Amino acid sequence: MATSEAAAGPGLALPPLTEEDVARSLDRSRVHHARRHRKRWHLLWLLVGPGMLAMLGENDGPSMIAYTSDGAQYGLGFFVPFIPLLFAMSFVCQEMSMRIGAVTHRGFGELVLQRYGRAWGWFGAGDLAITNLVTLVGEFVAIRVGLAYFHLGSGVAVALGLALVAFTIGGGRYWRWERVVLGMALFNGLFLLAAILVKPQLGAVAGSLGFTPLPGGSLNTLLLLLASTIGATVTPWMIFFQQSASADKGMTPRDLKHGRYDTGIGAVLAAIFGVGALVVGAALLAHNGSGIQGLAGAGFPGALRHAAGGAAGAVFALGLIEAGAVAILTISASTAYAAGECIGVSHSFNTSPRNAAIFYAANIGVALIAAAVILIPGAPLLSITLNANVLATVLLPVSLVLMAMLANDRALMGPWVNGRTTNAVGIAIIAFVGLCGAAYGIDSFLQTIHLVG
Amino acid sequence: MDKVTRERGVPEQDLQRQERFEDELIMDLERDQFVAETSRPVPRATLGARATAGLWALRAFAILVSLMVIYTFVHQLH
Repeated sequence: MATSEAAAGPGLALPPLTEEDVARSLDRSRVHHARRHRKRWHLLWLLVGPGMLAMLGENDGPSMIAYTSDGAQYGLGFFVPFIPLLFAMSFVCQEMSMRIGAVTHRGFGELVLQRYGRAWGWFGAGDLAITNLVTLVGEFVAIRVGLAYFHLGSGVAVALGLALVAFTIGGGRYWRWERVVLGMALFNGLFLLAAILVKPQLGAVAGSLGFTPLPGGSLNTLLLLLASTIGATVTPWMIFFQQSASADKGMTPRDLKHGRYDTGIGAVLAAIFGVGALVVGAALLAHNGSGIQGLAGAGFPGALRHAAGGAAGAVFALGLIEAGAVAILTISASTAYAAGECIGVSHSFNTSPRNAAIFYAANIGVALIAAAVILIPGAPLLSITLNANVLATVLLPVSLVLMAMLANDRALMGPWVNGRTTNAVGIAIIAFVGLCGAAYGIDSFLQTIHLVG
Repeated sequence: MDKVTRERGVPEQDLQRQERFEDELIMDLERDQFVAETSRPVPRATLGARATAGLWALRAFAILVSLMVIYTFVHQLH
């Protein structure tokens, strides 16, 4: 790390400065200026970012394909209220993550490692590396599916994904990275546009909010739906990402209110766009929707063209490209943060690649590995995509428990520890996620070894 | 805060609040935000035996279920 010594003024010794400190202080000076001059909207603009990126980043390729598949197989009934409920759960988890990052100025990986020991830190990083790698393969598949609609192949998908990672990490500033990715993430709204283009019956959408029968089918199918839909809204990478990004952005306890706005706006937008993808899928229900699901989404854009016109198909395909691209950036970033934190080297977008080589290498390296997988002839890409969310759900409870422990650690969090209500809701979420993931894993395994029918 | 300001009758409480804020911010960063500060590890927490056992049980359970999911996935490929 490049450092310099300076004096802050009489009586105040300035800590050794790094380029990361200088870049972050520039961002913070704008925040203080907006706060001093009571520029509320400008302050909100400066402080939004990590929450919206975590939420809209999680509306990724496999997730949007999962929502569309749900709609194509089962219609709107159960999922229209279920998706917002899951994002409400996600808000509770991500608010905790943001709060820990803003109060401690440290990422999830390093806090777990330092507070609870190396084994727990490395276990968490291992979970993250596995789920991120599997999910990233799914993101490249989503881009490929979207591009296939425009008659473009795997090579273009790989080049596009990697070029975006290289472009966004090249600036040497967290602020620049965040704004570029945030700008791209807003195009997640393409799924809402696609939903409008399929001309749904608004009465049916509104009506499905009230009564929510569980979808029919076998117990295993239902558990798969629950596990994969949970994995589409709450995942380990989001916890790592938002805590580290909040610290990297320079958020402090004074920014918690805006951090909650940021996370809340992200959750609402992600829920709306997720329901948009569900509505698009439901439009295919009468057009052999369940048959299309067997292709793990590969046939959705083409099927939409036949069912609702070329514009709907094209917008949906563009949405898949966007969802995959944004998630590649955020998931790669979460991997890089975790790698830097656990190894104990510089891990900030505010540091130049020269001074944070491992951070940037991990960022592009994990994307490179995932890209290489999708170029392997005959690789089971669609199966990987379908199982990515399930694996994330199964591994999530450990990260959630450690996060809840950190959020209740008064020595770290001071007056910003969890309240009783947050703890009660948090415990319920951990139990629900754990039960759904475990039930699917055990039931599938028993069926596979023919112990149950 | 200079002496003149204090003598002009600015409430002591306000002066202290302003001084505290200025102490907290250096170059628009709070002291504990500097890389030099965040590079210092936080002290290790002492977990009770039950908490440690609970964490290991959860970890073992997560690994076991993950292996089941991976086995099922591989089996489905064949």
